[in-house]
Amino acid sequence: MKDGIYRNTCPRNCYGSCSILSYVKNDRLVKVTGDPKHGFTKGRLCAKGYASTQFVYNPQRLKYPMRQIPRGSGNWQRISWDEAYTIIAGKIIELNQRYGSNLACGYNKFSGNLGLLHYAVEGMFNSLGPHTKPIGNPCALTGKHAVNQSFGDHYSADPEEMARANLIVIWGSNPAVTNVHQMKFIYEARRKGAKLVVIDPIFTRTAEKADLYLQINPGTDGWLAGAIAKLIIEKGIIDEEAMVKQTIGWEEYQQFLHQQINLAHVAEQTGVPIKAMVELAELYGKVKPAATWAGLGIQRSDRGGRSISAINSLAVMTGMLSDPGSGLYYMHFEIEHFPQRLACHDGPVHPTIPHSREVDMSHFSKNALALTDPPLKLLWVASRNIVTQDQNLHSWQQLFQQLELIVTVDLYLTKTAKQADIVLPAATHFEEEDLHVGYWHYWLSINQKVLPPYYEAKSDLQIARELTRRLNELSPGFSNFPYEKEPIDWIKTELSPEIMRQYGINGYEDLLDGPHKKVAQTHSLKKYNLFPAIETNLLQGDQQQPFTYRLLSPQSLLKIHSQYECVSWLTYGETDNIIELSTMAANEHEINENTKIEIYNEQGAITGVAKINPTLPRNVVLASQAGSNPINQLIFQKEDHDANGSSTFFYDSIVKIRKGRDTHG
Amino acid sequence: MVKWAGFLFNADDCIHCKACEIACKNENQTPTGIQWRRVEKVAPELYLSISCNHCDSPECFRVCPERAFTKRKDGIVQIDEDLCTGCGLCVTACPYHAPQFNPETHKVSKCQMCYPRQDAGLPPACVEACTTGALSIVDLNQFSDPEATRTLPGFPDIRITCPSIVFYPPKPRKRYFL
Repeated sequence: MKDGIYRNTCPRNCYGSCSILSYVKNDRLVKVTGDPKHGFTKGRLCAKGYASTQFVYNPQRLKYPMRQIPRGSGNWQRISWDEAYTIIAGKIIELNQRYGSNLACGYNKFSGNLGLLHYAVEGMFNSLGPHTKPIGNPCALTGKHAVNQSFGDHYSADPEEMARANLIVIWGSNPAVTNVHQMKFIYEARRKGAKLVVIDPIFTRTAEKADLYLQINPGTDGWLAGAIAKLIIEKGIIDEEAMVKQTIGWEEYQQFLHQQINLAHVAEQTGVPIKAMVELAELYGKVKPAATWAGLGIQRSDRGGRSISAINSLAVMTGMLSDPGSGLYYMHFEIEHFPQRLACHDGPVHPTIPHSREVDMSHFSKNALALTDPPLKLLWVASRNIVTQDQNLHSWQQLFQQLELIVTVDLYLTKTAKQADIVLPAATHFEEEDLHVGYWHYWLSINQKVLPPYYEAKSDLQIARELTRRLNELSPGFSNFPYEKEPIDWIKTELSPEIMRQYGINGYEDLLDGPHKKVAQTHSLKKYNLFPAIETNLLQGDQQQPFTYRLLSPQSLLKIHSQYECVSWLTYGETDNIIELSTMAANEHEINENTKIEIYNEQGAITGVAKINPTLPRNVVLASQAGSNPINQLIFQKEDHDANGSSTFFYDSIVKIRKGRDTHG
Repeated sequence: MVKWAGFLFNADDCIHCKACEIACKNENQTPTGIQWRRVEKVAPELYLSISCNHCDSPECFRVCPERAFTKRKDGIVQIDEDLCTGCGLCVTACPYHAPQFNPETHKVSKCQMCYPRQDAGLPPACVEACTTGALSIVDLNQFSDPEATRTLPGFPDIRITCPSIVFYPPKPRKRYFL
């Protein structure tokens, strides 16, 4: 690339999907800034984004393909891409000959890079015909279902519009840490007199900034939403006519609130005093427009869908029907409106097997282990760090043992990569082309290839092109992947006439001048469902035993899941493996600040350093994700009752606490 | 009137996101551990984003035997690393830990308030990066606001050096804890 300033997009699983201006000199990234043409980020990045030069030129990045013999030994040998492709393609073909199909081959990919061209992994497997593929969304599916049930479609208001609200109520989300660019819109509203209310079990950095903070027992948000709705109806501060006209189930809903919601009982369950409920009901009933944000944190529990549903109903009651400024915020799935040609690529038809085998992401290891005829034998891991992030690790270990070939594509030798037979070095977003659409804001942006690859790193798309070509060399017609197509061809395919109309562009070239915001919203909400039947179920109380603690493991500021752990600008001065507990829990177990403690359950035990957090509820312990001793070792997903799948219920994990055993190291 | 460049830090708006701290490193490519700017928690719910405060009476300037420090007309305190011998007197003298000793180069460096950017009409990198607008620059000869304060709890004694920074303190909030 010529020296200059180019456009990239941060591909992380994050609300920001920030547009980046990359300063390139002599084929090196010398610095980055935000893109002032992006209306949501307005020219800013987060700390992680500003650490991009260290992320790209990190001595710990993988440079070459490597093979580990035997697996887990740490005995890594550098191999060429050619050798890697030959081994992998040879194995795929051998398994095909053994079992008569490619069902023994599967992948596990999630949110390491959200670019549309990273669906090359899906496209590559599709091009082989029936195989084993993950489905679902461990992060957001339960809330997505609840929003769809309430509104008949995905719905999440334009976050820039939050600046127009006079009341902002955030349930279970912490934008000051996880969505920093949203804060300026909240502050803008507040400077004009708006009130910010935060409801969260944790006294988060966002809660610290709230005009009114309500601490709530985890998993009980649905109760509180019901109580607020009841109070608003009793006070008569509601547009009854609009409710009758535009909602389904208004009568039943009122009856449910009247008969089933008892304020004293709700106060007992939620821990929120009636006085605070009245205060919030007054605000919700009278201050318009009111923005309601149902956070992802709420639906990381098996009661989460019902809570999101109850919050949706409350948002409908408090102005969504009459006032466009009274939006409901969750996250949106605009990406589903794109052609997603790679993800939807049609593979060759198998004579007897009509479809691929689907495995729910939230139970991948358990369900994959149950597969027979043929069992899963080859696993491709991309954009994913299973060993630090996924739950049910015991079954993962069993699955690893069963697999004959594990290939991991990553930037770093992650804990998952260390379990692989072959690791392939991935390109950063600065070394590949891509196209990005957010899931929070409504901006579309391009990602230019601005740097030569770091050593031998390649993009997921390039790997798909080269591996499928090798497969066909070894076995003609094995894959129908269109490997002659260049990245820009795929970008052009995604920019269908309909998409270009929606985003007001005439071609990808327009995106080189800056990101574009969606011009027209496609969802047209007409009827709203209020769900008394579902909400009835939320009346089950929490059966937590004494001296047990709910393990909450939200995102931390300077990482996304396990990403950025190797960036020393970010890790400098940070302490790994902190376990936060309440003053009461510390007293119960005679634990002092900075002493070694263990949290444990039937899954295992984690050692950490105690930090006493006087604002934490008695029955909650708080730990960050990943690190040297990842918390997912204690997370176990119970059987799923929802036929449509669910999010992973990370926050239903219960642990006990004990003083750390005094071992060395 | 001559300009007096200073920082304005709104503690009520700061969310401790550290974008300023890392944006400084991005702009100046300082090595890990050399913190020209850092965000610190100084009390429950009180975070400060602190760099060199380009003091009116800079201690670094006073104690440096090599006269490596200069103060521009607009108040920006600069260090000429070529003159620095790494004696560390400025490091111990500065109440704000602004001068940063690099054990590899045996030199001290510090925030220069992005003067090349400011001379080109741009804000310092930290200010540009602040997503909430909590950190900004002001001309202290012009700035006046009765709500602003010269110091905050947890900030070192300002009487020694008269730092070029003013603050807005956090506002009281209403909470219901369990």
